[in-house]
Amino acid sequence: MKRLSCLLAALAVLCLAAGAQAKTYVNGIDANYPPFAYVSEDGKPAGFDVDSMNWIAKHMGFEVVHQPMDWDGIIPALLNKKIDMVCSGMSVSPERAAVVAFSDPYYTIQKVILVPANSPIATADAAIRGEIKLGVQRGTNEHELLETRKAQEKLKYDLRFYDSAPLAVEDLLNGRIDAIALDSAPAKDAISKGKAVKIVGTFAEDDVFGVALRKDDKELIGIINEGYKKLMADPYWKELQDKYLK
Amino acid sequence: MHILSTIIEALPYILEGTLVTLLLVAGALSVGFCLGVPMAVTQVYAPKPFSRLVSFYVWFFRGVPVLLLLFLFYYGLFGLMGIDVGTVGASCLVLGMTSAAYQSQIFRGAILSLPTGQLKAGRALGFTDLQSIRTIILPQALRLSIPGWSNEYSILLKDSAMCFALGTPEIMARTHFVASRTYEHLPLYITAGLIYFLITLAGVTMLRRLEQKVRIPGYNTAGM
Amino acid sequence: MNARPNDTPILRAEHFTKYLSGRKILDDCSISIYPGDVKVLIGPSGAGKSTFLQCINCLLEPDEGEIWLGDRKVDVRNTRELCELRQHVGMIFQDFNLFDHLSAEDNVALAPRKVRGMNKQEALKRAHAELRRVGLEDKARLYPAELSGGQKQRVAIARALAMDPTVLLLDEPTSALDPELVGEVLTVIRDLASHGMPMIMVTHQMEFAQAVATEILFMEQGRVIEQGSPDELLAPGSQTRTQDFCVRLHDLCGGEAAAQE
Repeated sequence: MKRLSCLLAALAVLCLAAGAQAKTYVNGIDANYPPFAYVSEDGKPAGFDVDSMNWIAKHMGFEVVHQPMDWDGIIPALLNKKIDMVCSGMSVSPERAAVVAFSDPYYTIQKVILVPANSPIATADAAIRGEIKLGVQRGTNEHELLETRKAQEKLKYDLRFYDSAPLAVEDLLNGRIDAIALDSAPAKDAISKGKAVKIVGTFAEDDVFGVALRKDDKELIGIINEGYKKLMADPYWKELQDKYLK
Repeated sequence: MHILSTIIEALPYILEGTLVTLLLVAGALSVGFCLGVPMAVTQVYAPKPFSRLVSFYVWFFRGVPVLLLLFLFYYGLFGLMGIDVGTVGASCLVLGMTSAAYQSQIFRGAILSLPTGQLKAGRALGFTDLQSIRTIILPQALRLSIPGWSNEYSILLKDSAMCFALGTPEIMARTHFVASRTYEHLPLYITAGLIYFLITLAGVTMLRRLEQKVRIPGYNTAGM
Repeated sequence: MNARPNDTPILRAEHFTKYLSGRKILDDCSISIYPGDVKVLIGPSGAGKSTFLQCINCLLEPDEGEIWLGDRKVDVRNTRELCELRQHVGMIFQDFNLFDHLSAEDNVALAPRKVRGMNKQEALKRAHAELRRVGLEDKARLYPAELSGGQKQRVAIARALAMDPTVLLLDEPTSALDPELVGEVLTVIRDLASHGMPMIMVTHQMEFAQAVATEILFMEQGRVIEQGSPDELLAPGSQTRTQDFCVRLHDLCGGEAAAQE
């Protein structure tokens, strides 16, 4: 009981300390989204977006803490001021833009179809128009898009939902689904980690990633846009892309 | 070998999550106990309107999924009430309030299983009802509650995995993170499962010891 | 009757009426206790004896009636006065109602500690004295489940005595006991009576009642029908309802009762 109360006290102090420093912003990340955001071997948040934001924070003069969150709850958390931004491979979409503000886009990403290396499916179009089981991460742009298209175009795929892209890849390899619709970055990440999968093409317009912010947080929106401008003008931007996205 | 090294590498990180999980469970059990006991007493002894209120509480928290409650309170009600206790605190509170609904029913059952003469005897000696409940009813009822309580412990332990919905970095969330990076989902989930199993075993064993320790001599509770 | 009309009784219960689920269980029953009184309530089962007894210390709240402690009327709706009344009136139950989670000594010491604010040592000392009085000092550390029925009832008596009651209510103290254990409990009660402890007792032990009672109240259908000294009511050929009832009771289990006496 004593140890517990010590732990609670320590926790309270931590919370206070975090609140006391004025310019600390919390970035909510989906740590199941390598290579943009994940948890490294030593248990620290890492990835393209994490490093980007760290650089911006350093050069724009604020502190940033990366808080791994459940993707389903990440926008409510932002709106409730539990976090201050979402810089974690979030696609700009009209639905999201209705409730949150986005920074200027910082990355363009393709929406691809991933199939097992030995799959008979040869093109993205074949996958979309086929009678297949199609995996998608719940709560993503792809999810939204595929449901709409299915209804509008009377497509025959059967959507299966996953908590994260890597989980979908596991199920693809297990043979429970025939293909996955996802962003190119996690698809390439799976391939780079030696998984027997291949990309057969894109199934939709490219998406752009932006940092989600609260609409009334004008100051931070300005800081982030300014920060990305600086970052993109810096050689470090190229370095980051080489490190994570090749 | 590769799998093994992945697990070993990830173990410290996941074990840190074990501390968070234990904190969640301990916090939730405590909150549930502190709310559950008065709720049980209210349900058994208080006038109708009060016991109705408790029944409603129990009905609500038993009827709504924990995940939904977590969202409802963390993003909704706690904000409206101006309560800000962080993700771990909020998770403890919500799990604790849910547990209170279940714990109150464990305690209520135990109280009702006691002979009515116990309270009568207390009253006849000049105890107030509150004194009787505190010194006569609860010490007996709580003893009888230990087996049910130990059940509640293992259920809470598993429910705590849902707290990641609020970003609470407990065992399951951390395991998922590592798996997303390494694509070793199955071995890592088995590892997490083993950790849960060990914690359950340790807790249940401790509670069984406690039950033995506070057992009333000559009193057979085996049937409970 | 040893009561002098000018004295104030220790306890007076007047005009008690009690309904249970619409049925009249008690109908205008009264009783007064003077120092040294041992009053025995008898009557067929369902006559309202236990109800009457439990109304006296308000374990059941009477629908009508007044309780007087000495010359003061007790307001039973006032928690403080109610608790005070109950401290003055000790109660012995048919099924003992010992606190199962406490040893014999703690059973006896609990109320002195919690209700009268005695410290633990003092209360335990008192508990041992009371247990000695009922002949159970050597069982002080045992738990109720480790005691025989007779021993449990004696602990219950010690528990009541530890609160220094001015009146003791005994609700069929021996009817849940195996026949061979009745004697030890009756011995303790007889001893208390001989030391002048005022008592109201519900019992079917007629020989015992005849021996210790200063007055017998015969109840039937919620009313006190006959009331008087054992000699008056139980004299052979007295033609009272009481006597008639006792004869029938004796025919039923007289041999057994005789064996215990």
